[in-house]
Amino acid sequence: MPEQQNTDTAAANTSEGRRAMRLGVAGPVGTGKSTLIATLCRELAEQISMAVVTNDIYTDEDARLLRAAGVLPVERIHAVETGACPHTAIRDDVTPNLLAVEDMEADFAPLDLVVVESGGDNLTATFSPALADAQIFCLDVAGGGDVARKGGPGIERADLLVVNKTDLAPHVGVDAERMVADATESRGGLPVLALSQQDDVSIKALASWVLQVLEDHRAGIHVPRDPGPMAPHTHADGTTHTHEDADHGHEHG
Amino acid sequence: MTTRLGTLLLADARLPVGGHTYSAGLEPALADGLTVDRIPDYIAARLRTVGLTETAASVLAHRAAGGASGPDGLGIDAGALADVHDALLARSPSAPLRDISGLLGRGLVRLASRLWPEHPAVKALRNLDRSPQRPVALGVVAAVMGSSEDETARVALYDDAQTVASAALKLAPVDPVDAAGWVLGSEGVIAEVAAEALAVRDADDMPARTAPQIEGWSLEQQNRTRRIFVA
Repeated sequence: MPEQQNTDTAAANTSEGRRAMRLGVAGPVGTGKSTLIATLCRELAEQISMAVVTNDIYTDEDARLLRAAGVLPVERIHAVETGACPHTAIRDDVTPNLLAVEDMEADFAPLDLVVVESGGDNLTATFSPALADAQIFCLDVAGGGDVARKGGPGIERADLLVVNKTDLAPHVGVDAERMVADATESRGGLPVLALSQQDDVSIKALASWVLQVLEDHRAGIHVPRDPGPMAPHTHADGTTHTHEDADHGHEHG
Repeated sequence: MTTRLGTLLLADARLPVGGHTYSAGLEPALADGLTVDRIPDYIAARLRTVGLTETAASVLAHRAAGGASGPDGLGIDAGALADVHDALLARSPSAPLRDISGLLGRGLVRLASRLWPEHPAVKALRNLDRSPQRPVALGVVAAVMGSSEDETARVALYDDAQTVASAALKLAPVDPVDAAGWVLGSEGVIAEVAAEALAVRDADDMPARTAPQIEGWSLEQQNRTRRIFVA
């Protein structure tokens, strides 16, 4: 029962008393994850106590961008090296990230929210529930209007899907509304947010979503979900299924 | 003798203890001009210096934890464990390398605390330091997993060699098969160094071999902003 294990893991990670909610932000390189996090800090840092852990692949660029943005005290932004394994660091060996999160929680207690930024990877990278209580998957219109349709675990099952930089849509020949509609269709009712730095309403909506999840987390009604490594998929014989049933193993070419 | 599963796990990079963040000093070595053809020499140099010191610490920690006692064992000597830890710290002059070792040690503590929260040796390890040096943590976890001290020494040395070899694949144009060959090629050195480490009697008898060049590189790596590995 993967769900049960995940719940146990999250519980085991809980130190005495209230621990911060851990929010993962994943998505391909260049889709605006760092800017999204800077935006969250700007919107929320006066209301709640926050810290950020970044997973840059080769530099501490993301951490520096956040520090330079001046939205959080620099000591609340910590870069974790991932040995060129950004996917491993958020999924199959979360140890270095968890240690960094725990250090932040200890150093700045009581902390309300720790945001963990993935180093940026392909469409299959999602956070293990052992690291993140909730996760945002971030796409942008400049990556192509068809990406939302292509699907993948993050796109289909992250707690929130952000379609970023919608203001650029006319310049890159993408129909942003169509892209959001495609994404919405593939997510079975999970939220999709069209985000633009030029659109204050969308920024407020992002901040409100995070505050709502935080409230649910504290109330104990938010259950970490695992988007999983494998999207539901179709076989040549026309059957479609997911891999939630562990007995149903088969080869994927 | 049958190899314990725990020993195989400790030798497996898939064990979730954060090993993928560490290059055993190879990244700053290459940045300073070490050439790819010298990497096997680098592996051997590490094994004979820091490799021996750290492996001796692992062996002594294994003994202090009561030897291959397995998950229900008793016989932990917390005083001896603390002595080994102090002796290793005294033989680790680079502050960044002590920090990294502590971070990797914490990964092992996290694993052990989840799997055997009540084991006396795991409790002693946790009481030692929030971030115990990795070789000491490795020795304790190996004992708890039921590995023999000989296996513990070999796994410690193998892991050092393999860490360099696999980091090389991320840092230099190396054929992965060649990297596997480097590790196999270190068999003789590993056997010699393991025998030396196993002959160490106690913390006072622990060798203090260090590699000043590797320590110097670790200080440079600490201040670098463009890096893949933490050390």
